[in-house]
Amino acid sequence: MDTLPGVARPAEPDGFRDFVQARSTALLRSGWLLTGDWTSAEDLVQTALAAAWPRWASLTRPDAPELYVRKIMVNTFLRWRQRRWNGEIATGRLPEMQAYGDVFAQVDARQALLAALDRLPARQRAVVVLRYFADQTEAQTAAAMGCSVGAVKSHAAKALARLRDAPGLAELMTGGVAS
Amino acid sequence: MNTEERQLSELLHRVTPEPPRGVTVEDVALRLASQAGQRGDFREPRRPRGRAWAPVLAAASVFIVAGASAGIVLLTASHHSPSSSLSSSGATSSVSPSRTAPQAAPPAIASGPWAAQLVSHQALAPGSLVSAGNSLYAIGVVARALDRIDPATGSIAATAPLSSLPVDPPLVLGNTVWLVSYYGGGSVVLHGYDAQALAQTASVTVPAIGQVSSTAQGVLAAGPDGRLYLAAGDTVAVLDPATNQVIRRIYLPGIPASSVAVSPDGTKLYIGTALSSSSPFRLLIYDLANGTEVGSSSLNTGGGVGNLVATSGGVWGTAGVGMSEWSWFAPGGDLSRSFQVGGGAGGGLYSVPTLSGGTVWVSGSRTLVCASPATGRALATAAVPADHNTAQNFGTVAVADGHAYAYFQGAQQDGLARMTPPLACSAEGS
Repeated sequence: MDTLPGVARPAEPDGFRDFVQARSTALLRSGWLLTGDWTSAEDLVQTALAAAWPRWASLTRPDAPELYVRKIMVNTFLRWRQRRWNGEIATGRLPEMQAYGDVFAQVDARQALLAALDRLPARQRAVVVLRYFADQTEAQTAAAMGCSVGAVKSHAAKALARLRDAPGLAELMTGGVAS
Repeated sequence: MNTEERQLSELLHRVTPEPPRGVTVEDVALRLASQAGQRGDFREPRRPRGRAWAPVLAAASVFIVAGASAGIVLLTASHHSPSSSLSSSGATSSVSPSRTAPQAAPPAIASGPWAAQLVSHQALAPGSLVSAGNSLYAIGVVARALDRIDPATGSIAATAPLSSLPVDPPLVLGNTVWLVSYYGGGSVVLHGYDAQALAQTASVTVPAIGQVSSTAQGVLAAGPDGRLYLAAGDTVAVLDPATNQVIRRIYLPGIPASSVAVSPDGTKLYIGTALSSSSPFRLLIYDLANGTEVGSSSLNTGGGVGNLVATSGGVWGTAGVGMSEWSWFAPGGDLSRSFQVGGGAGGGLYSVPTLSGGTVWVSGSRTLVCASPATGRALATAAVPADHNTAQNFGTVAVADGHAYAYFQGAQQDGLARMTPPLACSAEGS
């Protein structure tokens, strides 16, 4: 087969491949919670990793790479959200939790979760994902978002209040649906 | 954390699904190259689309009225037109030389089907290729752009940068190329581009009723009435492209629409629904005269289904389980009578039906098939060769300039392939 002229790839930093292999699933899941779909989640993670690549050698602390990548993810998400969502569009109605029966319970749970997260302003959503899914401390979350710990606490409290009113979410939090 | 915070944390960990694929270093290298302006220098990632691309030519029944019949005739020609009827004048953004340079002597794909040649090496989304008139349109994934490609040379005649990769392939209706730019939550955003210069001419936000489908594949179609049909939550929204207004909604019984197609005679609307990628797929048939459901059937493949194409004889689509995907044809839109067409695709690659040049084409990593739009019968089948035990793949097929084109993903190289199918592929009209 004829082949095309090859062009050398940029040098891959030491440890980068191991990090991507080990953490891409977790990062993608965070991206899904932030954006609500896999396409955007993948876009988000790739954008963050591409930004981290040139600076990889300087991220020497053991937890630095992940914190740095998450910081870029969150800030990229906030920029996207600003660009793509000029005002939130109210949905006609939210998913009815019991409509589809048990066989669809898992899908219903995901839809209910995303619908609930869609109710949150972007910064509150980012705090929820960083604090309660990525298990970051308040200080780490504040560093990632470029705000104070107090602001993180405030966003978290407001987010919890909004999620409390989200249809179906309270039942999921207390009862749950097996994944 | 207090109790409520712990419950929320536990819920997020429990409900958040596993991603369908991981991110690789190669993906990141590709992104980095794109940002550095090294367009086209890197190989296409194996799975660049996040969501399955829909079958193309939803606009076939409208735009290709002239092109389709002409395509049948042109398909029989052994040469292509030496000139393109489209020029690059008026392009909205510059095209880098590396993306436009035509290949002097297109290399043949070894053992490739239908005398396949690589005519360009632009990195395109494999399922994004469509044709209209004498142009090809596709999404460039490295440059992240909507491209109009001159099939005679493989070069890019016009390009429009995109802020993100669209959900579905382009849909050409009249003089406008439509892209689904955003599809999530409670709204859909469509962008329209001039079909020649690719200057953006429209941005339309369509509120969904309920949430849009999480299993969407092929959410935008065109009808012979010149309208756009868009799966928008629990409805299909009908848009008048002249005014960019929603002029009608067809309501589903509390289930989000995941794929749509309109029959060539404009009387029926086919709507695919699936609550998850593993739940049964239902195909609903609506009478467009009065908006009522007139039929439904289901298919339990255990995998994602969608990418509907409507032809005179029925409905086509894709289904997939695990790493395998195949195309099916349902006579009259009845899934209980559906059967597989072609060999499908393995290894996470795609098999997608398209209607182009009056013939249905079924792509994949095992076979390329041209089939009758009336009966679903294969008119000609060609094997897709493996290279050093590595599966190779052809993306969606589009007819232009007397040839069939598809994005080829090979073991050693990728690019736009030009093929000369046998006469049998043009034996039947639509």
